[in-house]
Amino acid sequence: MESLSDTLWDIVICGTGLQQSLLALALSRSGKKILHIDPNEFYGSAEAAFSLQDAESWAHRVSTGSGGLFAFASITKPEGAVDLSSSRAYSLALAPKLIHARSTLLSRLVSSRAYRQVEFLAVGSFYIFRPPQDTQNPTLVRIPSTREEVFSTTDVSSKAKRQLMKFLKFVLDSEASPQLETWQPYADTPLTGFLQQEFNMDAELQMYIITFTLSLEGNISTKDGLAVIRRHLSSMGLYGPGFAAIYPKWGGLSEITQISCRAGAVGGAVYMLGTGIKEMETVENEVKLQLTSGDTVRTRMLVRASDSASGQTGINRLVAVISSPLSSMFQSIVEGAPRPAVAVIAFPAGSLSTPAGRASEHPVYLSAHSSDTGECPVGQSVLYLTTLSTPDAKAVLERALDIFICPTSGDEAPQVLYQLQYEQRTGPDTFEVDGPIFTFPAPSPSLSFDDSTLVPVREAWKRVMGDAAVYAEYLVFDDRDVALDDNDVYDTW
Amino acid sequence: MADQGGSQHGIARTSRVRTEEQKNRDLERIARYHELEDQVRARVAQGDYSSAVFQLTSKLLRLNPEYYTIWNVRRRCLISGSFSKPSAGSSCSTACLTSSPTATTAPSSISCLSSSSATTPPAPGLPTAGKSGTTADPTVAAAAEPPGAIESAPSEAESHDFTTLKSELAFTIPLLLESPKCYWIWSYRLWILQQAIARLRPALARTVWEEELGLASKMLGKDRRNFHAWGYRRHVVGQLESRSLQGSSMVEAEFAYTDRMIKSDLSNFSAWHSRSRLIPRLLEERAADEAARRAFLDKEFQQIREALNVGPEDQSLWYYHQFLVLNLVYPDKHPAMTPGFTVHDRVAYLKREIDEIKELLEDYADIQLIYEGLFEYTLYLCQLERRNPKADERADLVEWLAKLKQLDPMRRGRWADLEREHELTAGGSDV
Repeated sequence: MESLSDTLWDIVICGTGLQQSLLALALSRSGKKILHIDPNEFYGSAEAAFSLQDAESWAHRVSTGSGGLFAFASITKPEGAVDLSSSRAYSLALAPKLIHARSTLLSRLVSSRAYRQVEFLAVGSFYIFRPPQDTQNPTLVRIPSTREEVFSTTDVSSKAKRQLMKFLKFVLDSEASPQLETWQPYADTPLTGFLQQEFNMDAELQMYIITFTLSLEGNISTKDGLAVIRRHLSSMGLYGPGFAAIYPKWGGLSEITQISCRAGAVGGAVYMLGTGIKEMETVENEVKLQLTSGDTVRTRMLVRASDSASGQTGINRLVAVISSPLSSMFQSIVEGAPRPAVAVIAFPAGSLSTPAGRASEHPVYLSAHSSDTGECPVGQSVLYLTTLSTPDAKAVLERALDIFICPTSGDEAPQVLYQLQYEQRTGPDTFEVDGPIFTFPAPSPSLSFDDSTLVPVREAWKRVMGDAAVYAEYLVFDDRDVALDDNDVYDTW
Repeated sequence: MADQGGSQHGIARTSRVRTEEQKNRDLERIARYHELEDQVRARVAQGDYSSAVFQLTSKLLRLNPEYYTIWNVRRRCLISGSFSKPSAGSSCSTACLTSSPTATTAPSSISCLSSSSATTPPAPGLPTAGKSGTTADPTVAAAAEPPGAIESAPSEAESHDFTTLKSELAFTIPLLLESPKCYWIWSYRLWILQQAIARLRPALARTVWEEELGLASKMLGKDRRNFHAWGYRRHVVGQLESRSLQGSSMVEAEFAYTDRMIKSDLSNFSAWHSRSRLIPRLLEERAADEAARRAFLDKEFQQIREALNVGPEDQSLWYYHQFLVLNLVYPDKHPAMTPGFTVHDRVAYLKREIDEIKELLEDYADIQLIYEGLFEYTLYLCQLERRNPKADERADLVEWLAKLKQLDPMRRGRWADLEREHELTAGGSDV
């Protein structure tokens, strides 16, 4: 067998994040010589999922400065948290993104047959947190997204329901005339303004709509907002009644990186974890790499992740494990619908205040995951809170968590068993090509998967395949297993 | 090679282009199919209904569940083989004859049915003939209950039949998944279910029928607007309620079921229709007095208005609203929900409905069905009060008719008729 150094590799992929892993999947039938390395001892990079022990190692590395785009990671385990299970009973996701049913990612996973290895769970309702008014306790209001949900909800007046229906119909057809002409003048202005002017919506109703966009800034443009909402609405019911988005079990996008790398390995790629690039040099059309393992390799192309922060605002995240199954959040409301494993709660800008008395500048999104996700043991739940980074962000997230687990009835409040907090900065959002070196953009902190993430993957694939690149075969594979013989049909009874 | 049948409510048919390889594979399959068929026919011609033939029908039906003759062959195999031998009673022979009347029966040299050839087989309820199928054959029911029956352990024969019946039901499941609208599969299922009533004690037969209700719900879950499935459901419920299965009324549960179906899809005409059929019995069973009936009607009106509020373009919703209105307008023709209503009451209700619907126009200015509804109901109001339209009502009618002409120019003949009929023509207006 040739050693690593003897081979002229067709491609060296550095990092096993989502884009790199999907590239490995895309190349898994190509017969190319692929060396896939990752400086971490785990798969997934910025999309990894951690056991408690792995989370601790990672947090330590991040706080000592080698976290790449991650910073300020800290873990808190409250005193007397006796209910915390063993480390491997948890799989905390760095990228707990929900994937809309219409997403191209899913059709690619299907066409490449990789979907068989992933278990998908339904994402349930979206809720808005309504702060306490007068003597009333704070409440969670479910946001209706289908005609039947608008019909059933008691939180919206008849008139408002009509406005909502007109808007939902508008959005589904927003790319056609005359709808297109109606919103184009507002394209780059905030969606809230458009809703008020064209649909006469009051602030509350506007809030419902904005929440669908999961916009971290809270003031998404009309153009972007309509696109995201249309994606949500047209995804509704696509794979079954009652849900518009799905979530991969065992840690979200992490699972997709795992199966993609597995496919890469089955296809002949060589994998090396705990191996990074010490030095690199471009020689003619090749890249010469000195790996941290001591090996020197030559490759026709190097694909790697971006590690430098751009100036844009990143996010703060709080991951909390709590001692309650939150059963009421994970009930299917539609006949025949699967039980959801994820619920999303939005705390609109201004609805939370820090201990110092300042109102939250941006929305906070809380993604609640039941144990069905495999991310925690039965009887517990994992909460992922996200908000745009500001000096108050950490305090705001803690406040949101406190309010959320505060009981409204006489029940005991669930305990917070574990907390992981960190910041994730943003990097360049386009890929870069420098001769034989291809650099993927930095992962986006958005809460739902954006199909634009897939564009650089195909670009990289195109460059590796060169003249052999046939778009119709990109991520389109047959099953590796032998197909069932037709004769079997006769013998089943 | 079972065909999927017509479009299944939104799932389009796709045409398949076959490669040379696929074509050859298909020819092979066809040859094997004909071979199977020839085998079965040859043996049946010799009166062979043995278990070997039974196995062959399994294979053949797996390939073509629409081959109804083979379903009949299978029935005869069961009767002459798998089912426990008929005892002296008449129950079994009538049960034996319960085969589909439209199936062509094999030549008459059938050994087991010595006494049967003269009698005409009673028809079981086919899925579309829901009404005629709701009552169990009384002779079968009576014969299935031996006089003075005491609860005893199931006999070996009964256990054996139970297993056979369950196995037969299981056999049809994959076929139904492929061809959910194939009449012959459903007919066979119904025959098996009838056999359950005939051959098993009521408590045991009931479990089989209850599972059937579960299946009907599942089918409706997959395709909520499959009216075959709704009719089938009504038949199953009817049997479960009957004496032969020691049943009691299921009206409340079925009414709640329509609630759930509507909540998951407002546009479900069959669910609304089912609801309308259940209401008279529901109110009767609740022994609802006038106050309770009034409250019930209020709630129904409110719910349908809420539905129209979000789906004014949906015809199924308007049909149900119309059903409620007709209750007010023609108390004699329809089973009255509120028999105690005076004319004054009815007028008040109708006026309220008209006002509420007018509110929809605030936001839905171009929905045809709203104008049609308002037009019709205003005329009903006049009918109830035995008068002609007042001046302002006439103005409304003219305005709505103008809107209808604009929104639906294809039906201008109809609008013209309405205009003439109700003397709404303004001089020189366009038609």
